[in-house]
Amino acid sequence: MVGLGKAIKRLLRRGVKDGQSDNPIKKFRGTILSSSSVDVPLSSDLETNLQRLKSIFDKCSDVVFREFVFAQNEQVKLALIYIDGMVDKVQVSDQIMRALALEVAMATGGQKITKAHALEFIRERGLCINQISETGKTQDVIHAILSGDTVLLVDGHTTAIINGVRGWEARAITESQAESTVRGPRESFVETLRVNTSLIRRKIKSPALKIETLRLGEVTDTDVAIAYVESIANEKVVAEVKTRLKKIRVDGILESGYIEELIEDNPWSFFPTVNATERPDRVAGMLLEGRVAILVDGTPFVMTVPSLFVEYLQSPEDYYERFLFVSAVRLIRLLSLVLSLVLPGLYIAIVSFHHELLPTALLLSVAAQREGVPYPVLVEMLVMEVLFEVLREAGLRLPRPLGQAISIVGALVIGEAAVRAGLVAAATVIVVALTGIGSFVLSYRVSIAFRLLRFVLILLSAALGLMGLTSGMAVIMIHLCTLRSFGIPYLSPMIPLTTTDLKDVVVRAPWWAMFTRPRLIAGRRQTRLEPGLKPASPEARPKVEG
Amino acid sequence: MPEKGKIDTKQAIMLSICLILPTAMLSVPAVIIRHARQDAWISLILSIFIGLLVARLIVSLSFRFPDKTLFQYSEEILGRVPGKIVGLLYLWWVLHSNAIAIDEFASLPCVALMPDTPFVAFFIIAIVVAGYAVRNGLEVLSRYIELITPIGLGLMVSLFCLLTTKVKFERLLPVFDKGLVSIVKGAAMPSGWMGEIVLFSMFIPYLNKPREACRVAVLSILIIGIFMVSVTVGILLVFGPDVSSSWIFPVFMAIRAISIANFLERVESVVIGIWVFMGFAKIGVLYYAAVLGSAQWLGLKDYRPLVAPVGIVLLGLAFLCPNIIDLLDFLARAFPPYALIVFELGIPLILLGASLIRGRRGESS
Repeated sequence: MVGLGKAIKRLLRRGVKDGQSDNPIKKFRGTILSSSSVDVPLSSDLETNLQRLKSIFDKCSDVVFREFVFAQNEQVKLALIYIDGMVDKVQVSDQIMRALALEVAMATGGQKITKAHALEFIRERGLCINQISETGKTQDVIHAILSGDTVLLVDGHTTAIINGVRGWEARAITESQAESTVRGPRESFVETLRVNTSLIRRKIKSPALKIETLRLGEVTDTDVAIAYVESIANEKVVAEVKTRLKKIRVDGILESGYIEELIEDNPWSFFPTVNATERPDRVAGMLLEGRVAILVDGTPFVMTVPSLFVEYLQSPEDYYERFLFVSAVRLIRLLSLVLSLVLPGLYIAIVSFHHELLPTALLLSVAAQREGVPYPVLVEMLVMEVLFEVLREAGLRLPRPLGQAISIVGALVIGEAAVRAGLVAAATVIVVALTGIGSFVLSYRVSIAFRLLRFVLILLSAALGLMGLTSGMAVIMIHLCTLRSFGIPYLSPMIPLTTTDLKDVVVRAPWWAMFTRPRLIAGRRQTRLEPGLKPASPEARPKVEG
Repeated sequence: MPEKGKIDTKQAIMLSICLILPTAMLSVPAVIIRHARQDAWISLILSIFIGLLVARLIVSLSFRFPDKTLFQYSEEILGRVPGKIVGLLYLWWVLHSNAIAIDEFASLPCVALMPDTPFVAFFIIAIVVAGYAVRNGLEVLSRYIELITPIGLGLMVSLFCLLTTKVKFERLLPVFDKGLVSIVKGAAMPSGWMGEIVLFSMFIPYLNKPREACRVAVLSILIIGIFMVSVTVGILLVFGPDVSSSWIFPVFMAIRAISIANFLERVESVVIGIWVFMGFAKIGVLYYAAVLGSAQWLGLKDYRPLVAPVGIVLLGLAFLCPNIIDLLDFLARAFPPYALIVFELGIPLILLGASLIRGRRGESS
């Protein structure tokens, strides 16, 4: 035993040493671009620059190098570099090429522009592009090209002009697939970062809405934006988000889920501590409560932090519908949350241990159903639950037209036929179905956690009855108490209790009573609306003098 | 300091409630009723005063040594070696009280639900779940308690409201039937129980508003007292002293009697749920006190390595008591002098006296 321990220790130590000797990150960066060719400034000679860029973009068939001459002075050579398919071709040919190669001459009446003044002239009068910038670094040129901008190099100048003429095929803004509502805006985010930021900006027209960008992913070089409302968001959280994001060193970020797992507070938890949504109205609402949004280029899912447990009981529609109805619906959601977690375990516990807890008539009926069933209730329940999960997964993965077939097979074959064949008791099917429907009521992200934990509770209840069920739930509760999202306790505002914030947990207070923002999330500015906005009929209103 | 977390006043009150109430709720009324019969509620009111006395005692000790727990200031007051001895005694007492709590915790499901399951299964569950909370620190433990206590007590109260159909006020008469002596005898056990508030001194340094320690201790004793009095009166009103004193868990049996409109029946499973959730809370608080105390007694920087060993010791100690009848007998006869006189009144009084004489004060001097 001692020898084994020593061997493990030695192995571990060796692992550490290996890690130190060659830093994987450094090695990995070197393979992407040799820094010598990137870290140099642009040369004044166009040929040299083109040579360098061509060697960098060697074997990249989608990069276009277009060399031509300036209309005003044939000695001034120009080059356009862009990636085919990522630029607006009409703009590139009309507003850049046509302008510089033909139309400038007409506008200035054939007056010659010296080589030394060419760049200035082009910038001031030559280009018909609304968004341009300049750079002298090869690095920036490469990044601009890869991002879909068109780079204009002018012979004799060490500065390149970056023309913002990005234009690629993108998905149109459509209705949200993952979170649907009856009332509320229909639009949802798309894959393009700029469109997404504009969707938020259109909802919050304030200079206080800050959108800071950074680039993550050594190979993918993905744009990531952090959005927050400056006067409302907690600066500590904003700073924490930035530090956590800046620490990330990966090869690529293809979806916000990559980042989520890298910035979470509790990586081993079942519960999400970062929320993700594809609804701009939801993100705007979160921002106004003082949260921070993280947008990632290439995905319609925007993350918001800090994310608390109550968020998963809320739906964006809650704030558009009448508050009394919403409060009732939230109670239903709470009920289905408990049901989806506890019901199978409770059923097993009662059927296999605590028959006395059922009223006699019900007990007799359940016992009669279970009479011909060959397996113990645990096996029956596990099989049905797993089958349900399989059906659900199949329904998700299959092409949509086939989804119908799945539901028919699920409902008829599994439900009806299994009961008739005496393989499972009807009560078990009812419990499984109720549990499944209950979990669909919840936000998808948190229902995943509950689905997994349900199996744990099933096993515990089968082993120890009610005792096992309750202890399993206690452990889940303690676990929920340990969680934090960016420093904010996960169960707040319930635990620790913030009485003023209970207005948006199980009940939703009417808008005229939503006086403050969540205290733990928002920073300094708590007040949300002026008091005294409660509507009243003209007779009931106190008379204003004068 | 081994613990860095802080708890607020609300959490501290619930923590002190969970230090005493969860296991007292079900079994204590029977013992009191056995002695004082229908005057059990008077005994309980007496015990509230004892509880308040103990609370006042430890709060004034803590005010003299604001940043120190019981284990730390006993060394400061008495000197190193005697202080360590007192610490060891308290350590034993905390562990033993916790073992008793675990025994009680296990006995209800064993008696009421699963008579064939060995006690040890329940012991292990209790220790593992409470240990998980303790390992995560005081903040997590108190958050769990904050989550569980209002729900548990609220459900308990609403269940008792359902019993109102069976109430007969004559069952409380005649008052003072058996005389003062039996009332005082009946007060002994609940006083020992209330006196467990002495362990609140383990948590006073971690209050975010230490000035409110006195308010916290007094309020929690009052809440526990009022709750216990109403539960006891409730049982007496429903069953009368003869029937209820013959049961081990009269509260459980009272809830079992609920039957409304042939629909609301068998609600005692709710009581078992409350019992389990709040039992974990009580065991967790005592477990935490034991772990933190032993870390301070040994002079460790972190208490987390001690969670597992203390758990194993607890498991062993839980076997001390063979069954619930013996346990209740012990609690009724031996517990009051053992806990109340030595640990809850005796040693704190000596500590306070010694510190007064030696004039050692904490920051305030």
